[in-house]
Amino acid sequence: MNVAQIFTSFKEALGSAYLEDRTIERKVGTVDPGTVYDLWITVEREALHDAVAHLCAEYNPHISVISGDDIGDAVALNYHFTVGWGERYGEATFTIRTVLPKSDLVIPTITDVLPGAQTSEREKIEFYGIDVVGIPDDRNLFLPEGATIHPWRRDLEEETAKEVKRMVKWETRDE
Amino acid sequence: MNNQSINLDVGQCAATTYTVPVGPVHPALKEPIRFSFNLDGERIVGVDIKPGFAHRGIEHMGMKRNLVQALYLSERICGICSISHPLAFTQAVENAAGIEVPPRAQYIRTIIGELERVHSHLLWAGVGAHELGFDTLLHLTWNVREKSMDLLEELTGNRVDYAIPIYSGVRRDIPERKAHLAYEALEYYKGLLQDMIDAFLHDKSVEMRTRNVGVLTYEQAVELCAVGPTARASGVKKDVRQDMPYLAYADMNVKAITPEDYGTETIGDVYDMIIVRLLEVAQSIEIIEFCLENLPSGELMSIPKVPALLATLKKASGEGLGRHEAPRGEVIHYVRLEEGVEEPAAWKVKAPTYSNLMAWVPMFLGDEIADVPIIAASIDPCMCCMDRVHLADASGIASERTKEELVKLSREKTRRICG
Repeated sequence: MNVAQIFTSFKEALGSAYLEDRTIERKVGTVDPGTVYDLWITVEREALHDAVAHLCAEYNPHISVISGDDIGDAVALNYHFTVGWGERYGEATFTIRTVLPKSDLVIPTITDVLPGAQTSEREKIEFYGIDVVGIPDDRNLFLPEGATIHPWRRDLEEETAKEVKRMVKWETRDE
Repeated sequence: MNNQSINLDVGQCAATTYTVPVGPVHPALKEPIRFSFNLDGERIVGVDIKPGFAHRGIEHMGMKRNLVQALYLSERICGICSISHPLAFTQAVENAAGIEVPPRAQYIRTIIGELERVHSHLLWAGVGAHELGFDTLLHLTWNVREKSMDLLEELTGNRVDYAIPIYSGVRRDIPERKAHLAYEALEYYKGLLQDMIDAFLHDKSVEMRTRNVGVLTYEQAVELCAVGPTARASGVKKDVRQDMPYLAYADMNVKAITPEDYGTETIGDVYDMIIVRLLEVAQSIEIIEFCLENLPSGELMSIPKVPALLATLKKASGEGLGRHEAPRGEVIHYVRLEEGVEEPAAWKVKAPTYSNLMAWVPMFLGDEIADVPIIAASIDPCMCCMDRVHLADASGIASERTKEELVKLSREKTRRICG
């Protein structure tokens, strides 16, 4: 796998919005060790859609999941893709990271280029209160319909605890 | 395929269709999920899926416990793939903290992981037979499955939640005196496998109920990012054990199994999913045999004392991804560790059903209500891993269908088409 070439193609496609990259090489196997790669790039929020569109156009990616990480005054989103599936040792994980300030939790949808990302995007809307612009369906997926809490936000833990308490009280009420 | 076709809104359905809700009790497995079907007569023209009834906030709880406690919590995400989550979680933490795993431990993890695939695929095959009204086959399949459960109990002490992986290795060895039990179970399965294939794949009624039912095309599987046997039945040669080897899989040549390997054309229907899963049972048996014969000697853990392990983890900082090909498909865990903190600073779990959720929609479209149980069961869904059915009829009137009514409809269809 030509890691440098992959990173260069992203740098050219994204320009100054491409912030940093790193490669983690891991040896696997006990008899005849092989190498697998975890690739990570960080991009500006404005370039996220372009980065995913470039990935889809060039590398036929699979999206595993989008993970979120509350890092204080911002929420970091890691879009975990895998590229190169179909042959032995052909695959590497490819994570695109972008950081959203809590004052402006807005990100464009990537479902127009990769429809399979919808489940994960809907989860991020409800659990972090992120506005995913352009998503075809923004209803709550895992949380109850109409719930407005965002359980994975560390700054909203009090509100979440209060709402969970209210729901438990309602569920265990005397008929 | 455009986004509209996979997101039909129940409220927007034409006056000629009606909405029928199925759920909250699952029509196939005893787990909660709600489907709202838009029907034109008996034909499904739209479906809306609402999971979340089993969401327990495990990631949130895990981030408030130390890493060893969180490991045991990860084992309780799912009762069926109760080693798949710990396997992915331990690898994510080991990658983040730079912890090595001794070769013997890698092989033992692989053996237990593959035994889980054998029992999970046989469990699924039994459920599939039950949904079709073929209970004799259900009992036969589940009887055969017991051998793998017994072996798991002998090797680990438990039928589920094996508590085998720990960061830096495994907690229990497979001693020489127990290995003969594993060989005995492998011989038992080798002798029975052809009978299982005959019972499922050469049975006229199974074929009539599953051929061209619940079709997921290659393009849809790729676009919707399906995983596991659901994707492989559509011809997508995607398997973490092959694509990005880990543990003992790196020492053998594991191939993603598709219907081509059985010598039939790939259609991507429920029948193809049966083919893939049965062949994977045979593949797992080969893998277990390889691991037993080549089991390296040596230590079980690179950091055997738990206090030292906790201290090492507390000093670690970084991010890690751990992946495992669970029976239902790719499991991935993302972990971020912070120095000086015992808990994972961030933890995200992705179970296979989470990826296969979107793939259900094209599979249901165009089929009949009586096919709902077998199609719902075909992806081998696991709600507790990821997290009811609601049918919608042509005039927009909602009506509830219970699991029993749906299974009855499915069985009547089997009798009808078999004359």
